[in-house]
Amino acid sequence: MPEPDGERPLLEVRSISIHFGGIQALADVSFQVAPGEAVALVGPNGAGKTTVFNCISGVSRPDTGSVRLDGHPIDHLSAARRARLGIKRTFQRLEVFPELTVRDHFLVADRVSRGDGRLWRDLLNMGRPTTAELEAAVRVAGVVGLPDALDTPVAALTLGRCRLVELGRALAGRPRLLLADEPSSGLDVTETAELAAVLRAVQRDEGVTIVLVEHDLDMVAEVVDRAVVLDSGHVIAAGPLSQVIADPVVRRAYLGRTA
Amino acid sequence: MSHFLDYAIPGVPYGCDFALMAVGLVLTFRATGVFNLAFGAQAFTGAFIFDLLVTAHHVNQWVAFMVAVLVVSPLLGLAFDRFLFRVIPTASTTAKVVTALGLLIAIPQAIPIIFRNTTSLQTTGFWLDPGHVYLNLAGSPVNGGQLSTTVVTLAVAAALVAMLRFTAFGLEMRAVVESRRLAQLEGINSKRTAAWAWVLSSVLAGLAGVLMLPLSGGNLVPSQPLQFTTLLVFGLTAAAVASVRSIPIALVAGIGLGILQNLITGYLPNSSILSAQNVKEALPFAVLAGVLLFNRELRTIEVSSDPLAACDPPPPLPAVAIRDPRLSVPMTWGFRLVVVGFLVSAATWVPDYWVTALASGLVLSVIFLSITLITGMGGWLSLCQASFAGLGAFTAGELAAHLNLPVLLGALVGALAAATTGAVIALVAARLSGLLLALFTLAFALFADGLLFNLSWLGGGNTVVVPRPQIGPVDFSRGDRNFLGLAFVVLVVCAILVKLIQRGTTGMVLAALRGSPTAAASLGISMLRQRVIIFTLSAGMAGLGGALYGSLLVRVSSLSYLYVYSLAFVVVVITTGSRSVEGAVNAGMSYAVLLLILQTYFPHYTGLEPILFAFGAMTYAAHPEGIVEYQKTRWLNRVARALQALDARRARTAGPDPAGPQPATVGGDISGA
Ligand SMILES: Nc1ncnc2c1ncn2[C@@H]1O[C@H](COP(=O)(O)OP(=O)(O)O)[C@@H](O)[C@H]1O
Ligand SMILES: [Mg+2]
Repeated sequence: MPEPDGERPLLEVRSISIHFGGIQALADVSFQVAPGEAVALVGPNGAGKTTVFNCISGVSRPDTGSVRLDGHPIDHLSAARRARLGIKRTFQRLEVFPELTVRDHFLVADRVSRGDGRLWRDLLNMGRPTTAELEAAVRVAGVVGLPDALDTPVAALTLGRCRLVELGRALAGRPRLLLADEPSSGLDVTETAELAAVLRAVQRDEGVTIVLVEHDLDMVAEVVDRAVVLDSGHVIAAGPLSQVIADPVVRRAYLGRTA
Repeated sequence: MSHFLDYAIPGVPYGCDFALMAVGLVLTFRATGVFNLAFGAQAFTGAFIFDLLVTAHHVNQWVAFMVAVLVVSPLLGLAFDRFLFRVIPTASTTAKVVTALGLLIAIPQAIPIIFRNTTSLQTTGFWLDPGHVYLNLAGSPVNGGQLSTTVVTLAVAAALVAMLRFTAFGLEMRAVVESRRLAQLEGINSKRTAAWAWVLSSVLAGLAGVLMLPLSGGNLVPSQPLQFTTLLVFGLTAAAVASVRSIPIALVAGIGLGILQNLITGYLPNSSILSAQNVKEALPFAVLAGVLLFNRELRTIEVSSDPLAACDPPPPLPAVAIRDPRLSVPMTWGFRLVVVGFLVSAATWVPDYWVTALASGLVLSVIFLSITLITGMGGWLSLCQASFAGLGAFTAGELAAHLNLPVLLGALVGALAAATTGAVIALVAARLSGLLLALFTLAFALFADGLLFNLSWLGGGNTVVVPRPQIGPVDFSRGDRNFLGLAFVVLVVCAILVKLIQRGTTGMVLAALRGSPTAAASLGISMLRQRVIIFTLSAGMAGLGGALYGSLLVRVSSLSYLYVYSLAFVVVVITTGSRSVEGAVNAGMSYAVLLLILQTYFPHYTGLEPILFAFGAMTYAAHPEGIVEYQKTRWLNRVARALQALDARRARTAGPDPAGPQPATVGGDISGA
């Protein structure tokens, strides 16, 4: 599949660059993601994949370049505003809320995404979760495979299950664009396969656009059709996954580092 | 120009003193990650011991100096390191600040009582005679006190810089400052180096205290040891100018602040709001706030630049309760019984002076609930809650005096004024977090004490009368029993409010923000919005409580709402439990009752009450939910476990019993936490 054309891209990253001290973490990175598409962002460790996610979600600001959602620049928006536009993500370095249960993670994500949860509702004791909200939480827990853990504080969960909580939290927030940062690390082979199935289903059935950062190329192949390859902050290849993997430049970038 | 120098030169010795403090702060923060507010207490201890030895025991002043600065101060610092901060190396900066705050409050209160010396510190000189003019600099006379302070500071600073630059020990120290963990991997004993940093900076603090003596001209009183916190505030402002990073900049900034302070005295007119006195009082506020807001480098001090930071284990979590449904009924009824018992007793047999104390406990609980909101739920350490309380009280008092407004209405207006102020603070400090936000609120407290509460329309620093209310036929000025009822009603309303917020979406959103601001933002939660909401509510509640407190005492002045009370309040609430409504009420009642017991039975020990709590604050890092709350959970868990064991035994003897009650075990075990 070539670059999507005709259709307006949902996400457009336009030549962003960012540096930290002396490190040029991203140099002139551009790519597009069409609505409903699933794209992988691959590359060796330190290539800048997480930094790209940070620039899209508003955690970091690129030095130059622009990020567009639906064709509108979102560079001036805070991370929270971008999230409310439908950009939801998971984190490579786990970021859960240790004091909340799994259910609360899903509930809070759901409410915030709907702009519900105003103070006056709390003060009138209308802040309790409704049946519909509870059902939605149960549904999300079922999707990510945590139906038995709803009442568990996340502090009592294993790392792998915490990753699922993060994914569920992102999904509970009704994403239009889901940025998943190495969601399978900490999971075993079966869990990884299940996770791939979940992502595939979310993309196919619910029309969520996915950008996936993942080292496990088998899992990547399960989920995406197209890949963008980063190395040392540069895009070195982009296109259909099979074609990209066969690219000698990509092979060199990978093997040159891992061998 | 000579006019300028006339004012600038006498400022230098003060500046030197501030600089010593600033350098000490930078040194410990860099080596241990502790922003040690307790240096104010250490400075006081140094000065006190020195004075005690010289005046009471007629010890030679050089010997006294050695003992106070080179023995007692470093031992104190080492004790802090060994018994407190080393135990909590991975605690958050806020937890460390709270611990230091406990020390800052406890030590200066405890020392005069321990040594039974509460008169003024009489020593006015060290080394050179302060009464003698040794030289004239550009036409301005320099006396012995000024000269010795300046000479000693510059000599010590030069020695310190040389040591860090040129010795192997200095190199190790700088390595530890870069990355404690990396230095460890390199074979440097970072604990030893950290201990040395404590020794060095404690010597500096003690020195700053002793050198304060000749500058103050015999005006330092142990009963107000918090004069030394002014020294501390200037010191931490200078440290902030240096981004808590550079020792030379901290030195220069300290001296600069001393000069600036003196220049203001010289150049500003002596009338109007901008009188020299007012501005001088507000100077620490202005400079501290300015530095916090505009020194961008400072914002990264809590973001560890240490590449191995992620290797640390996560900080401890609040203990998780084992919930046994069978306990909830006796608990609920027990609670109701206590409340009814309390009300009936207060209305009937309790003696009058106890009623007053209980009423003040209820009113304090309202103020303390504002800390539950902001610190317990929001996770933001506010060091200006007493100022919000004062704002409420003075507004109510002035409105009653000038507009004849009923005092309860005035209290609501006061709460509104405080709430607005809280919102403004939240907005202005939008980009600050953690330690910096706490220091910014401290700056506001200083502003309120130095300037705001001296404005003529807010009491003008005099006594303000906040009358007792009168609702229809009920006159609350007749005895305190009526007033206790009123305070109870207000407290219940506030408590319900806090509970509703805690249980609702806002409570969840705040827990999310406390847990991970980054992840909370990724869901669409706006930190600023939540902060404005909570600051507004909390300040409003503190304002209401403050007005009520004023009405209870009837006569209040700005001294009743000094910033030191803000510090003490936070310490008290954090000790008992800042996460829950019960914690705040426990704090308010036990504080008031303790005060009464001390006043009635141990009058020599009044002033001691914050200490009992302050030592509790030192457990904050280990038990962020507060020790009372921690103990409660522990006991409840024990009972729950005993019940479970009983069930198990019964099940074994009686055979399988599928209908038996199944206690829900939630999360981990408290003893494992
Ligand atoms: N906040 C930061 N400060 C300094 N350097 C950073 C920061 N974030 C990322 N980097 C650097 O940018 C480069 C890319 O990092 P990252 O995006 O995490 O790579 P990846 O996710 O592909 O493994 C790395 O060299 C990393 O050290
Ligand atoms: Mg990464």
